[in-house]
Amino acid sequence: MSKSIVSTAVAGVLLALGSHAAIAAPDWGKVPKRDIQVFHPGVATIEWITKKSDHSGTAGLRKGESCVGCHEEKGGLNFNMKRLADAKELEPKGAPKTLNFPVAVQAAYDAGNLYVRLSFKAPAGGADKGDKDNDVKATLLFGDAKVPQGAQVGCWATCHTDARTMPGADEKKTKYTKEGAYELVQWASKGNKVSDGSVTTERKMSGGSTGAKVEGGKSGDTYTLTFTRKNPGEGKTVPFGFAIHSDHASGRFHHVSMGYSLGIGADGDIKVTKQ
Amino acid sequence: MADNEKSGLLAMLRRPSAKYSLLSLLVVGFFSGIFFWGGFNTAMEATNTLEFCIGCHEMRDNVYQEYKKTIHYANRTGVRAICSDCHVPKDWTHKMIRKIQASKEVWGKITGVIDTPEKFEAHRLQLAENEWARMKANDSRECRNCHSFDGMDVEKQKLRGAKMHKIGIAEKKTCIDCHKGIAHNKPKGMKEDDDE
Repeated sequence: MSKSIVSTAVAGVLLALGSHAAIAAPDWGKVPKRDIQVFHPGVATIEWITKKSDHSGTAGLRKGESCVGCHEEKGGLNFNMKRLADAKELEPKGAPKTLNFPVAVQAAYDAGNLYVRLSFKAPAGGADKGDKDNDVKATLLFGDAKVPQGAQVGCWATCHTDARTMPGADEKKTKYTKEGAYELVQWASKGNKVSDGSVTTERKMSGGSTGAKVEGGKSGDTYTLTFTRKNPGEGKTVPFGFAIHSDHASGRFHHVSMGYSLGIGADGDIKVTKQ
Repeated sequence: MADNEKSGLLAMLRRPSAKYSLLSLLVVGFFSGIFFWGGFNTAMEATNTLEFCIGCHEMRDNVYQEYKKTIHYANRTGVRAICSDCHVPKDWTHKMIRKIQASKEVWGKITGVIDTPEKFEAHRLQLAENEWARMKANDSRECRNCHSFDGMDVEKQKLRGAKMHKIGIAEKKTCIDCHKGIAHNKPKGMKEDDDE
């Protein structure tokens, strides 16, 4: 009898929490939308961007400048995309036909959750179709304060020359950080699978603590995905980056954003709207 | 006998002329000076032309082809910087020193040091490092014949150029510190700067 009362009470609480979450879902019509370009990065890894003979902007990075600070201009990217597709330079295997495209990003938070909404048209014409199962994947990375230059370089802190799908690299070596950690949340189109993982000395696709959920999918030719995760904390600025694997792409053959900061009740490249 | 002739020739050169007037000697000397000096400089300037530089296949088939794809060859304003604009000093003294140094390249041509694309690639890093060291030592003097921080309005530049030039000005950098490989392919195996 008492067990039944407890069970009913627990169910009631869960239902109440669920209703609360449903009620707290952001009114996206009131959340600013920012178009962020994602691009094919070729083999321009963290080792490439921090090597002066490859990337003269290394001097800026050392001064605390972020990738976005120099390369995002007039709503676009100001670097030479052709180099990222050049077989002799930064794409020895073959670049996708679409080198960059916009993703509309919105972010909101409440006491319990951080919400990130991505809207995009995933281009066809991929150069690598290593993922037979999934037409599209969308991945978010949230860095902690210990990641070196995490707020400046975003996902690049996890992207290394010796990781899988890089030329000559060990195909079992995943992305990793040298210090610090990223929380990883991924949505995959097949079965709307959500992975809640992390990137530290290796990438793990499970065992994360963000409590991630993803809602949405493809409507017409546009994907709209709402990521919900545990709020990292009001007043925090969180390093953030994301990638879209389009047209069955795998590994490094994604279109990736530069690193942005999410300001959760704090300053940031993307000011997260309080609900 | 020979000593007598030599001393006789020296004596003759040192002896004031009794046959020619001072005016004749001055006029002849003046025009001869113009002829030889002008001829010398004309010949030297001929070695500063693009045509001279690509007269050898080593330059024509390698660095010239790379340079033709760059902004120093073709650009919006139609101002072209040719080989000598970047690689030969403008002022006479430094130009002479550079030309004397460059005479070593004649020996390289004769011995065929870089006479195939493979040999050129094998020497590309060394050749580039020589030139970078020269430019670094002279504060990118040849770049500054056209470019200067004083004349540069960074606010009119693209964002990344503006940010990097502000750092460059603050840290008293010289052009070649950053602008390597802008007119020719970057060599493989470049060393990272020791001072950074």
